[in-house]
Amino acid sequence: MEKTAAANRTVRLRIKRCDGPGKPSRWEEFRVPIEPGSNVISCLQAVAANPVTVEGTQTTPVVWDSGCLEEVCGACTMVINGKVRQSCSCLIDDYVTGNDDVITLEPMSRFPVVRDLWVDRARMFHNLKRIKAWVPLDGTYNLGPGPREDAATAERRYVLSTCMTCGCCLEACPQFDLEPDPATWDTSFVGAQVFGQAQLFNDHATSRQHAGERLDVLMGPGGINDCGNAQNCVQVCPKHIPLTQAIGAIGRAATIHAFVRFFRG
Amino acid sequence: MSQQTTFLDRHHFLLRRLHSLSGIVPIGLFLIAHLTTNSSILWGKLGLRGEHPEFSWSQGGAAYFAKEVVWINEQVPHLFLIELTLWLSIGFHAVLGTIYALTGRMNTSAYPYGANKRYRLQRASGYIGILFIFYHVATLRWGWTFLIPGGTAWSHNFASSTLAAALRGGEEFTAMGMVVSAFYFIGVSLLVFHFANGLWTAAITWGLTVSRAAQQRWGYVCAGLGAGLMAMAWASVIGFAMHSPAAAREVETKMHPDAAAMPQTP
Ligand code: HEM
Ligand code: HEM
Ligand code: SF4
Ligand code: SF4
Ligand code: FES
Repeated sequence: MEKTAAANRTVRLRIKRCDGPGKPSRWEEFRVPIEPGSNVISCLQAVAANPVTVEGTQTTPVVWDSGCLEEVCGACTMVINGKVRQSCSCLIDDYVTGNDDVITLEPMSRFPVVRDLWVDRARMFHNLKRIKAWVPLDGTYNLGPGPREDAATAERRYVLSTCMTCGCCLEACPQFDLEPDPATWDTSFVGAQVFGQAQLFNDHATSRQHAGERLDVLMGPGGINDCGNAQNCVQVCPKHIPLTQAIGAIGRAATIHAFVRFFRG
Repeated sequence: MSQQTTFLDRHHFLLRRLHSLSGIVPIGLFLIAHLTTNSSILWGKLGLRGEHPEFSWSQGGAAYFAKEVVWINEQVPHLFLIELTLWLSIGFHAVLGTIYALTGRMNTSAYPYGANKRYRLQRASGYIGILFIFYHVATLRWGWTFLIPGGTAWSHNFASSTLAAALRGGEEFTAMGMVVSAFYFIGVSLLVFHFANGLWTAAITWGLTVSRAAQQRWGYVCAGLGAGLMAMAWASVIGFAMHSPAAAREVETKMHPDAAAMPQTP
């Protein structure tokens, strides 16, 4: 690595590090050789292979999370130059063009840090359970084929189904806060990801039967009314999920549900 | 649910929707009516419909505004009940609005999108707005004249002249009067923004606008309404601040000759 580093371009990664939950964080900077097509993950691999800071101090390898390396699993989400996105699809050349420029990497701030750039997104899965984000099929006998889905509904739902639980929409949301204590998760704000998924399943011919229960949850604390319509979620969603449309649709369903509940009991 | 629930949690949905509604009716509706009346200081000559043809444009404004204020005070039944409803609604909306605003964490520097900036301004305008409304109602309606430079007491028999004097800090502009007028200008502008933007978000809250296109179209409607209200708000502040109290008093005395004998306080 030493022999190519001098000839080729380098980038400096300024990384916010943390040794474990509750531990203090610190900044460290690493110099990494890059070539056309390098991305943040490939640079992190270079740091892992040679964990020496720009000052020449030997340190521990930087920890990050990743899976698919093609922007479909959401595991590698982090805050790059102040904005949340997937690191695997983050090309260095899109961020810096010069030699030895700096790129800043931080873990997401609305989830507890496990270590360095790796955060624990368990709350997102907890929230999906809160709204029963699935199609209820379990039973003791064969229910036969499900109802047919028309093309328009399928198209509407397809884009919602591409959500990868990455957390971008929550990290950028001014109403979504870090909640380290799971005891608060049943009343703290669920965020846009859940609104998208609630819409996905409320629009499903079979799963629709849970729509009322989902709305009951979403009309309570932490639900749809805690959204402040800043609409950052839809701007940062890497899957271009129409989250603000889902928010409007849930708001409408909640209005109707409240009237029905009031008059029918 | 693991912890004990609070009053806010138990009535979460109802309180949230009442907060949204209270911003529109009665507060927003009052705002429209109030700014229409107040801006008549500039267009009031038209409102007189040929009555007092001898009045100049500026005298007509003072006369029409005075007429409107007297009409409200003499003709509207249960005025105090209406006022009480309004004050309670503003208090309710302001208290809940502050609680809700405190749950947010501003991040416009990292995510400088238009809607995010409006989200931030919605909260800032609420905070400054309530300070303005409190000062405004305390000085003009509750008679806390020690907060008015020059100490003018607003009187509905001398509606235009006392209002102009309250804004100017006396017969002529004083330094403190300019501060009051500037505070009015800022407070009123922020509240008009707050109402127009609130109408835009309320349509999402209630589920009227769902698609992006619908939200955009409704956004243009709200911006148009906001621009109209802003024009009336600026017309009111500028109209009164630029009006000579002495000239207005002359008109008011001419309108009801016994006015000179009337008490100067409300
Ligand atoms: C544009 C400049 C404004 C002017 C010149 C103005 C003028 C006045 C006057 C003269 C009164 C006294 C009414 C009375 O005592 O019967 C009044 C009352 C009041 N104003 Fe304004 N106002 C302005 C803007 C606003 C704004 C933006 C709000 C916010 C919603 C507001 C809210 C109120 C309220 C709540 C009262 C008390 C109403 C009552 O209890 O009768 N005003 N205003
Ligand atoms: C007096 C101080 C005020 C404060 C602290 C305040 C605060 C707020 C806040 C924080 C919101 C956003 C709520 C959310 O999105 O969850 C809001 C919404 C709103 N406010 Fe106010 N506000 C105030 C006065 C007013 C006034 C005077 C008006 C009417 C002219 C008004 C009309 C509205 C409307 C229409 C909404 C939209 C509700 C929605 O999005 O559903 N507010 N207010
Ligand atoms: S629209 Fe709602 S969910 Fe989306 S970023 Fe804003 S507050 Fe968060
Ligand atoms: S909605 Fe978009 S931003 Fe949010 S978790 Fe799903 S894919 Fe990520
Ligand atoms: S590793 Fe799966 S999205 Fe980046």
